Amino acid sequence: MHKEAAIREPLILGSPTYSDISNDVLHSIENKPTQLWKILMIIATIAALWGLGCITYLLGVGIGTWGLNNTVGWAWDITNFVWWVGIGHAGTLISAVLLLFRQKWRMAINRPAEAMTIFAVFMAGMFPMIHMGRVWMAYWVMPIPNQFGSLWVNFNSPLLWDVFAISTYLSVSLVFWYIGLIPDFGTIRDRATRPVQKLMYGLLSFGWTGNAKAWQRFEEVSLVLAGLATPLVFSVHSIVSMDFATSVIPGWHTTIFPPYFVAGAVFSGFAMVQTLMLIVRKAMRLEHYVTIKHIEYMNIVIIVTGSIVGVAYLTELFISYYSGVEYESYAFINRLSGPYWWSYAIMMTCNVVSPHLFWSKKLRTNLSFTFVMSIVVNIGMWFERFVIIVTSVHRDYLPSSWSMFYPTWVDIGVFIGTLGIFSVFYLLFLKYFPVLAFNEVKSILKSSGEQYKNMTDEEFKALHPVLKKDIK
Amino acid sequence: MANTKKYWKGLEQLDKDSTFVESSNSEFAEQLPVTEFLGNKEDLEDASTTRRDFLKYLGFGVAAASLAACETPVTKAIPYLNKPEEITPGLANYYASTYFDGNDYAPILVKTREGRPIHIVGNKESVLTKGSINARVNSSVLSLYDNNRLKAPSISGEETTWATIDNRLGKELAGAKSVRVLTGSVMSSSYNSAIHSFLNPSIENFNAAGDPIGSEVTTIGKHIVADAISYSGILEANKESFGKAVIPTYNFEKAKTIVSVGADFMGNWLDALQYVNDYTQTRKPGNDWMSKTFQFEASMSLTGTNADVRVPVKPSEYGAIISSLYAHLGGSGGVKTAYDAKVKEAAEALKASKGESIVVCGSNDKNVQVLVNAINELLGNYGKTVDVNIVSNSKQGLDSEVAALIEDMNAGKVDALLIQGIDPVFTMGTAFATAMKKVKTTVSFATKMDDTAAACLYICPSNHALESWSDAVPVTGHYSLGQPTISPLFDTRQTEASLLKWSGNETSYHDYIKAYCEAHIFPQSGAVMFTDFWNKTLHDGVAVVSTKATESTPFAGNVSKAVAAVKAIKANGIELELVQNMGIGAGVGADNPWLQEMPDPITKITWDNYVTMSPSEMKDAGYEIHFGQEHEMNVLEVTANGNTIQLPVVAQPGQAKGTIGIALGYGKKVGNQEELTGANAYPLVTKTKTGLSYYASGVTAENVELDEPYFIACTQTQQTVMGRSSVIRETTFDTYKKGDRADFNPKFTLLSGETDAHGHQKAKELKEFDLWGDQPVKVIGHRWGMSIDMNSCTGCSACVTSCVSENNIAVIGKDQVRRGRIMHWMRIDRYYSSEHQPLGDVGATHDKTKEALDVNGISAYTAMEDPADNPSVVHQPMMCQHCNHAGCETVCPVAATTHSNEGLNMMTYNRCIGTRYCANNCAYKVRRFNWFNYIAYSKFTDINPSQDDMARMVLNPDVVVRSRGVMEKCSLCVQRIQEGKLDAKKAGAKVQDGAIQTACSSACPTNAITFGDHNDEDSQLAAERESDRSYRVIEEVGQDGNVYYQTKVRNLNA
Amino acid sequence: MSDKTIYAIYDDDYVLLESAKHLVAKGIHIRDVFSPFPIHGIDPVIGLARTRIAMTAFIYGMCGVTLALTGMWFFMIHDWPLNIGGKPNFSIIDNLPSFVPITFEFGVLCAGHGMAITFMLRNWTLPGFKGRNPYPRTTDDRFVMEIHAADSDLSAAEIKAFIDETCVLEIDEK
Repeated sequence: MHKEAAIREPLILGSPTYSDISNDVLHSIENKPTQLWKILMIIATIAALWGLGCITYLLGVGIGTWGLNNTVGWAWDITNFVWWVGIGHAGTLISAVLLLFRQKWRMAINRPAEAMTIFAVFMAGMFPMIHMGRVWMAYWVMPIPNQFGSLWVNFNSPLLWDVFAISTYLSVSLVFWYIGLIPDFGTIRDRATRPVQKLMYGLLSFGWTGNAKAWQRFEEVSLVLAGLATPLVFSVHSIVSMDFATSVIPGWHTTIFPPYFVAGAVFSGFAMVQTLMLIVRKAMRLEHYVTIKHIEYMNIVIIVTGSIVGVAYLTELFISYYSGVEYESYAFINRLSGPYWWSYAIMMTCNVVSPHLFWSKKLRTNLSFTFVMSIVVNIGMWFERFVIIVTSVHRDYLPSSWSMFYPTWVDIGVFIGTLGIFSVFYLLFLKYFPVLAFNEVKSILKSSGEQYKNMTDEEFKALHPVLKKDIK
Repeated sequence: MANTKKYWKGLEQLDKDSTFVESSNSEFAEQLPVTEFLGNKEDLEDASTTRRDFLKYLGFGVAAASLAACETPVTKAIPYLNKPEEITPGLANYYASTYFDGNDYAPILVKTREGRPIHIVGNKESVLTKGSINARVNSSVLSLYDNNRLKAPSISGEETTWATIDNRLGKELAGAKSVRVLTGSVMSSSYNSAIHSFLNPSIENFNAAGDPIGSEVTTIGKHIVADAISYSGILEANKESFGKAVIPTYNFEKAKTIVSVGADFMGNWLDALQYVNDYTQTRKPGNDWMSKTFQFEASMSLTGTNADVRVPVKPSEYGAIISSLYAHLGGSGGVKTAYDAKVKEAAEALKASKGESIVVCGSNDKNVQVLVNAINELLGNYGKTVDVNIVSNSKQGLDSEVAALIEDMNAGKVDALLIQGIDPVFTMGTAFATAMKKVKTTVSFATKMDDTAAACLYICPSNHALESWSDAVPVTGHYSLGQPTISPLFDTRQTEASLLKWSGNETSYHDYIKAYCEAHIFPQSGAVMFTDFWNKTLHDGVAVVSTKATESTPFAGNVSKAVAAVKAIKANGIELELVQNMGIGAGVGADNPWLQEMPDPITKITWDNYVTMSPSEMKDAGYEIHFGQEHEMNVLEVTANGNTIQLPVVAQPGQAKGTIGIALGYGKKVGNQEELTGANAYPLVTKTKTGLSYYASGVTAENVELDEPYFIACTQTQQTVMGRSSVIRETTFDTYKKGDRADFNPKFTLLSGETDAHGHQKAKELKEFDLWGDQPVKVIGHRWGMSIDMNSCTGCSACVTSCVSENNIAVIGKDQVRRGRIMHWMRIDRYYSSEHQPLGDVGATHDKTKEALDVNGISAYTAMEDPADNPSVVHQPMMCQHCNHAGCETVCPVAATTHSNEGLNMMTYNRCIGTRYCANNCAYKVRRFNWFNYIAYSKFTDINPSQDDMARMVLNPDVVVRSRGVMEKCSLCVQRIQEGKLDAKKAGAKVQDGAIQTACSSACPTNAITFGDHNDEDSQLAAERESDRSYRVIEEVGQDGNVYYQTKVRNLNA
Repeated sequence: MSDKTIYAIYDDDYVLLESAKHLVAKGIHIRDVFSPFPIHGIDPVIGLARTRIAMTAFIYGMCGVTLALTGMWFFMIHDWPLNIGGKPNFSIIDNLPSFVPITFEFGVLCAGHGMAITFMLRNWTLPGFKGRNPYPRTTDDRFVMEIHAADSDLSAAEIKAFIDETCVLEIDEK
């Protein structure tokens, strides 16, 4: 049977049996919500409601309630959009790419990461909607003949590419996620004692049987979906970056955007996974499954992507100087020395400098430090988008139209709101969904479980006699 | 079964009341008061519904219907019952008329639709103005529909009828021993005569100017003229110099050298509208000579921004400069000033162009003006460029007479005071108000409730100019007529008519003018038939009736006395100059939202007046010198001549050190707005016994702390062009004359990759690098476009308001403008030069940038953001460039903005979903977004006239009103293009070049904007496009726009 | 003789796999295996053919790509060509670069969803269906073989005897 190198650290600590794993993971579902959960839920709900209030006001009165103006047509709205989409990249990346690379450590974190992805992309998708002047006409971005006769959409517009990219990404990740959930729902269904639970999870599990053929298809589907999702992950943020790359505004019109945005997305995505996982594993006592090793692996990804992002920043800077285009070079001089220099400074420190602290093993295996870092990185990535969007457009070609952007309480409210809504969804997920893909975890128990890890085949066989006569 | 129920019409029917039985037989239950009504003449006159009213209502109906675009709700449309012959729904009628508000005189054409005047353009027939108008003129159409106009006569606040007014006032005036009629300058000879015959019905004979002939005239009263801004100094000076108190006429077309000391002759000084077009004729670099302008002034004026040489000086030094100029020209006396070098330069230039120069001065000091006359005499300009025998009637007010009036009133010598056309309580303040209290009968003819009207007993509201008949003799021998284009909207009566009525003359004013014209004007014209003359004049609006000048008199000014007097002028401390800006003028525009929202051509500030101050001095004082939506401005408490006002202080590069400037005319309520805009600066005017002077010395300006921060609504917060030579191209006359385009307007080239013999890369023109081949529109059919001559553009902003009027652009108010959301489709970018980045010609520019960079590195850019102390200024009209490779079109997800096959960048409002991507991706930032529902949202009810049912009537039915959440921008007046094409089609010919004019091009007083068809190779546009001065803004970005600009050429010795 | 269904319940995937090999060697045909997670290597033992579901994904994807391209050709070039930013609007080849992103996305969309739906249908796992696993714990920590006596020429008793040789937890007959 499959064994992995002895130097690899175990991914499952202690010596749980299969049913122990189920018990540990399903504890939250099969018991009453904890005090902590309730408190967090209340806070999240308040934030969510506040945000919904702001959105209602925004839609009722007009985009003018934001701080935008003739020069700066996008600011926090699209910044938040790109930020959320970025966050939404880790999940699929973990479950798809790591699955293709057969990285077993993904199993402990792919479920919560995917959940995060879906909720984040959902938040992201909200912004292109509400940022429209006439959101009630939003359906016009669909290629449908409308009351104006055969008026079709413009397939040259990166914004339209976004529509397709985001909706594809959202729905495909959703499918990927849900198919993964089905067997686990099956387990819950079969363990459920309360009738309501039995009914609900019965419905959710789609009548999963778990017979050999089903598992065979299941694995095939997961694999192919992973194969599809991988290029999807890269395409989505590339397309988002094209909103800017294909424009004429100095600071936006940058060919390196696609890879640079994808790296940034993974960067911020993993940071967000860190933030969430560190809370979850503690609150739900999953330290055995989400081990220091997992945290460390993710930190390593953060170093790598962080460095890529850093290189991208410096390349941009150099090219702007080297190009000799006065507008291009000024766009970056303005980032450095203009009225928004501070946002550029924040971006640089958070995204370029800070990740390199993780080179020290001591730091990258330190939970509280990792937690702080994960927050820092996400702040940095928010400012990256702010820098790209606002500081580029607020001073472009004609100095006469140079302007500034000042957020209003509605700008801020909507952003806080999305954080709230996201948290509400995530808390519900933690309470009612299997937080880990525990059936997958079971499948790696023998290969990566602490108690099996360094057994010889003899020991193993001794422990698992096949024929009664073999039993000594 | 049959219904046997019976319903009573009322108790009367139940108990068979006799009256009921009768009335039930007749059609109407009550008797209609037809006979009484028609019987009584006065009632009939008071009745408001006339045929024109009917037209007006239905006009509004049709307008409302045509406005029902997008989500705007359809109200109701009333069909014609019987259609008046001259009106065809959907077709505009143009009527020639005359605009004169006491300051600006302009023959105009009024565009009416379905009986509603909706747009005003200049009348190109006029040889005086050549169709020049300014923003105040074309915005006056909005004030016609101002709901705050006085809607009925009133006695001490009580609304009443004309009949009662006529009765009571008739009695009072009959009893009055001494009557004073106080008006602004009167250009209308018939009005003038009407006034005199009102004061003394016995007068029979009048001259062409409307003044009574013969000395036997004994009147019960006097007609006194007071101008809001007094030019008494010039009148007095000419009285002394030439024996007649007149305003001379100037011929700028012939002037090779112009020296102006504090005279804003392109903006607001005297008859600027008659000068500015002539002036720009001398600014065509194509000609073999180009005029040179020296401007000595304290605060930056429109003329200052266009002058070749501008010298900041203190207002108290105007006299000294004139006299030292006089000395340099060989005159006697004269003091030495700190600016001797510049004065000498000016003098040399003047000497070089004797008889072809003009010297003017903005000072209202008689002695200074005498010296100015002396200089023009010395240069032999009289009869050539300056004429005191063919004179202008636009300014007649003598300070001495006004002072006398106030004395008389205080002495109780005045029984009745009738005031028309001016607001003395506003302009002259308490002195006048207290004096007025002593007058028994005070009558105001105001159209709006101004400070004076409020203080008057009787208010006899006059018509708006567009509702009235009028005539004018603006300049000796020139005649123009003004006709009503709509019947009075309210129960008003034009002043002239009132005066006629009270002087017992029953003829209507129309007949009176006609008769007067026949008797006094027509004879000079030499025309045969009066009716022909009258009809032609009425049709053209203007006529030159004679070229005969009044007999000339030699210059007899007492120069030595003047020199001495000028020497004696003393000044101390900070000096304050009181100026007018282009939007508000002397105050006529103050209550007009369009004008308040029009960015000031120089500071680009809206909805405010303010203290202008030199940036360097403000830095020393620690004041905020930058504009911006969140920049808190310092507020100064300015005290001059014992009066104090509070105003924000803004940095004005070019403001002379030690001086501050404040615009007059502000401090009135606008529309339904509660708070005042700005503060009234008239109290700060210095009143001396010799007259008014519009500057004060020894002024104190203290910074005051307000409870809440004070913000300024400025539409351009970045003052300099940051050395971007492909945005602004500028050169000197000499460089231009050398004729090598590469020196001043190099073509954009890129390295092609192909190498030449020496292995250097060959440079090719931009179009070689186009990704795709030319689109059909580049050659087939029309390709509309524009060429804008930055040499002719003075920045006056008439085009801006014209565009607002034509395209129904929303007024959004100070708060929104401050947030950078102004809706104007057309803006005029104003750039100051910077020390680090002088706006020299292109070659120079590049070297200078290098230098600046090598020296200071990045900080050079920061330094470049600050304008120079005395910068050179460029005005650049900026609107949608209608790019053939438009960035905005590609990025719209729903294809709401696309390219027409006539080269227009079209915006489909009702397809737009408002992602604003197009605006972001517009390299020129000319797209405007409807952030709110400006036509319905309650927040804008007080600000946006379009929310007012009355003011809605000014909307142009050809242009939809945009709703919330859609993008809008300049359409090159596509509705006019379509109209022009239809006309051509009907005529069976191709569209003639120049037949189609956009709102901006038709409004431009200097014809700086040329609209036309690029594909028509014979068009003027094509010619200008090919000229060596023409370039496209940031052409290297490759948007391939259809709007070209002509390099600005200054007459400097490079 | 009547068909008997025999369930052999194990508590470990490894044991089940090995026992399965043992039983198959004895000529017993294993109808099916129920387990909480996939037991790698069981398929060949019990003779399961490889699934062809991946093929369907490819087909769906291709359909999506074709649909997207035809759609965009029809909308932008055939039905209503517009001059947008002066870009070529007369042939799909010139316009192709800006069609690539949506073509790809739409392909993935169709492939992903198409395959997922096929999976559901083929697997008969759809909303509202009851679970058809013989014992609830097979989704948690039990591993069950389903053997039909009729499948092999051995009698039920013999089969049970063979099973009993392995470390089976429990043998059940229905």
